[in-house]
Amino acid sequence: VKQAVLGVLVVVLAALAVYPVVGSGYGVRSMQQVFMWIALAGSWNIISGLTGYVSFGHVAFFGAGAYAGAILVADAGWPWPLAALAGGLAATLLALLIGFPCLRLKGPYFAIAMLGLNEVLRALVSYFEGVTGGGNGLSLPTQDATVPVYYVMGLLAVTVTAMSWLILTSRFGLRLMTIREDEVAAEAMGIDTFHHKLLAFLLSAAGPGVAGALTARDHGYIEPISVFPLAITVTMIVMALFGGKGTVFGPVLGAVVLFVAQEMVWAHYPYVHPLLFGAIIIAVVLLMPRGVLGLLQQRYRLPRTI
Amino acid sequence: MLGQVIVSGILAGSLYAMVALGLALIFGVMRVINIAHGPMLMLGAYTTYFLYAQFGVNPFLTVPIAMAVLFVVGVLLQRGLVFRVVDAPELSSLLLTFGISIALVNLAQLAFTSDLRAVEYITGSWLLGGLAFSKSRVIACAFAALVTALAFLFLKRTRLGKAIRATSQSREVAMVCGVDVARIHMLTFGLGSALAAAGGALLAVIVAIQPEMGGVWTFKSFLVIVLGGAGNYPGALLGGMLLGLVEQLASLFLTTQLSEVVAYVLLVVVLLVRPTGLLGGRQT
Repeated sequence: VKQAVLGVLVVVLAALAVYPVVGSGYGVRSMQQVFMWIALAGSWNIISGLTGYVSFGHVAFFGAGAYAGAILVADAGWPWPLAALAGGLAATLLALLIGFPCLRLKGPYFAIAMLGLNEVLRALVSYFEGVTGGGNGLSLPTQDATVPVYYVMGLLAVTVTAMSWLILTSRFGLRLMTIREDEVAAEAMGIDTFHHKLLAFLLSAAGPGVAGALTARDHGYIEPISVFPLAITVTMIVMALFGGKGTVFGPVLGAVVLFVAQEMVWAHYPYVHPLLFGAIIIAVVLLMPRGVLGLLQQRYRLPRTI
Repeated sequence: MLGQVIVSGILAGSLYAMVALGLALIFGVMRVINIAHGPMLMLGAYTTYFLYAQFGVNPFLTVPIAMAVLFVVGVLLQRGLVFRVVDAPELSSLLLTFGISIALVNLAQLAFTSDLRAVEYITGSWLLGGLAFSKSRVIACAFAALVTALAFLFLKRTRLGKAIRATSQSREVAMVCGVDVARIHMLTFGLGSALAAAGGALLAVIVAIQPEMGGVWTFKSFLVIVLGGAGNYPGALLGGMLLGLVEQLASLFLTTQLSEVVAYVLLVVVLLVRPTGLLGGRQT
């Protein structure tokens, strides 16, 4: 079975690797966005799916990466792949800065603090006009990088998923899940809970940072409201939740399915799109809180590290 | 200058306090973080606009009507959807109320379009001792004080109010004492929404009305209840005044845009030093 799964994975990855040669511009763009959502949902899953700390402002890292990358490309003239790495680093540093106070907060307070972080970053970015262009946004020099960005974004999605698998199958992952189940008990068993949470938080911030910088390069223009919306946070959460939070492939499945669903809703019902999106969120929360993989694991005794 | 800042801070703070009290009630009784609180405020503002524009009703007289309308909306939402996530992990209530929130904003866009609306009823300021008192804000502050006082009277003195406070302290014990908890939850969500609606109705005279006006109010209400102590209702008053003053001070010494940042830093500091808020609340 293991070899079959591995075989399927290799075939899928190979097909995706040659896709830009045959696919249309729209198709490549869409796939690139699917990769982005896989990276975002997978990253959110590392902190929130495993430790249970709900990061309700995860888009902050996406936005921080987007601005860091865009400023380096536009003002410092860095090549965009390097700027993307710097975007990931910037997001990780932000996580380090914010993790020290916020990861000591519990339950709803952590969620509110993260929600607030996002609002604050948007206010800061709008304020420092000299560096960020403020509310007018920031334009990057024109450059057609759709296909290279496709590959790098794909690499990012694979990296995040592989990292999730490594974490979930490691003792580190087990300790994180112990924190989720009972933090006091975890502490009593000798787990340094704070540093475990912090490390998971840093790992979950890097991916969105890189994804933000890549998206900035691809769109060529960013503004505070386009890279810090609460809707991006919620979308990645719902994707992880739909596929199954705390699993390796749940976020991947959720990203693919919900992205396709969203595109279809967009195309057919542009005016009521948010209404239908809201309905999808409510349905996922009420009807399948464990997600598709969670349900399958329950029913068919699938491995925990799926 | 400082006097003016304090006046403006208190005038703004009274609205924050009233709206946040609504959120504090919902959070205190049900542990539900209601992202849809701001959109409820927006619907209250539209109720006032509609009554004023269509029937020429005095906007300040629409406050009780807006509260009644949104009370019903709140009860229906609780009865239809929110009751399922009471006691669920915070992720469920956050996502569910976010879904409700964007659905409400979208419905408002469809029904009222995204055009800015204004209720131009009263403008200008009173000058008193060198300080300017914006007329609309002073009246709004007076109404907010009245509504908040009535809400507290209701919570303190009536049997239903006592039942709400009992449920928020311990649901099991309240249940044992014969409180119909499901009904109290509906009442609480309705009451919380009505307080948001009162805020919206009063804001309608002060600021422009549009479907997305509620978003910042959700965030500010969170700030207020965390500052004051979640689940601590007088704390919401203190938190509201504090937020009003901090924002005004920040806009005096720094700039208006950074007032949110200052308020957030204050929030994180308060959470770290006193996780239960300034007046103490309940830990989860």
